[in-house]
Amino acid sequence: MKRLALAAGLAAAVAFAADDPKQKEDLAAVIALQGKPCGEVVSYTVQGANDFVATCKDGNRYRVHVKDGRVVVEKQ
Amino acid sequence: MSVIRPWLGLAVLAAACAGPTVPPTVPEKVVTAPATAPAPEPKAAPEPKTKATPKRAPEPAKPAPAKPAPPKVAASAPALDLKTLEQRLKDTSAIGVLTKLSLKNQVDDLVGKFKTYHAGARPPTLAELRPSFDLLLMKVLSLLQDKDAALAREINASRDAIWGVLTDKQKLAEFS
Repeated sequence: MKRLALAAGLAAAVAFAADDPKQKEDLAAVIALQGKPCGEVVSYTVQGANDFVATCKDGNRYRVHVKDGRVVVEKQ
Repeated sequence: MSVIRPWLGLAVLAAACAGPTVPPTVPEKVVTAPATAPAPEPKAAPEPKTKATPKRAPEPAKPAPAKPAPPKVAASAPALDLKTLEQRLKDTSAIGVLTKLSLKNQVDDLVGKFKTYHAGARPPTLAELRPSFDLLLMKVLSLLQDKDAALAREINASRDAIWGVLTDKQKLAEFS
């Protein structure tokens, strides 16, 4: 039983790819608002709550997350 | 999902959109010329103070003070209702949650700069703040214009009103 719970926990912790067009637009807009080049987000993975890694059409990858109430965009 | 309240900052912007609060125009007191003395009634009981002589011409005694020209109505900036605008910003699906939060961050930053300005620090000067304001407004508009064009138009039309609030220390304090 413990192993099962542990496995479930690990599975939840692993980032997973997602493909919500609205989320992609949101991420693209945030990246653009920070003045970083991207153009279009072609894919992204969810790292956690309000924590994403977005891959742009131009090949750039950014981690977009919320820290202390601020949206932070970090180039990967 | 952590509790995100991206609307606080936008609310400031929205509040600014409400435009300067123009004090309601007090209805002008109608100054009427004193009533002309009633037609003399023969043998009427003398009124204590109105000893109007019957021959008195309609009294120009106290010409009504010339009314000052009515205050010019300020060029009516489209007054956006604060609450309505705030609600519309909350409800719009044109902007995603992260984008709203990011905008809020930028609005907060800009408002902080205006507070610094109002505190007397130089820089920033208003001339330096204006481009930042214009750029932020442009960002908001560009995010809204395709999917919520009506809201974008109203915000754009309120540009001067928003600037007016930001540059007025008291008004800005009211909304912060």
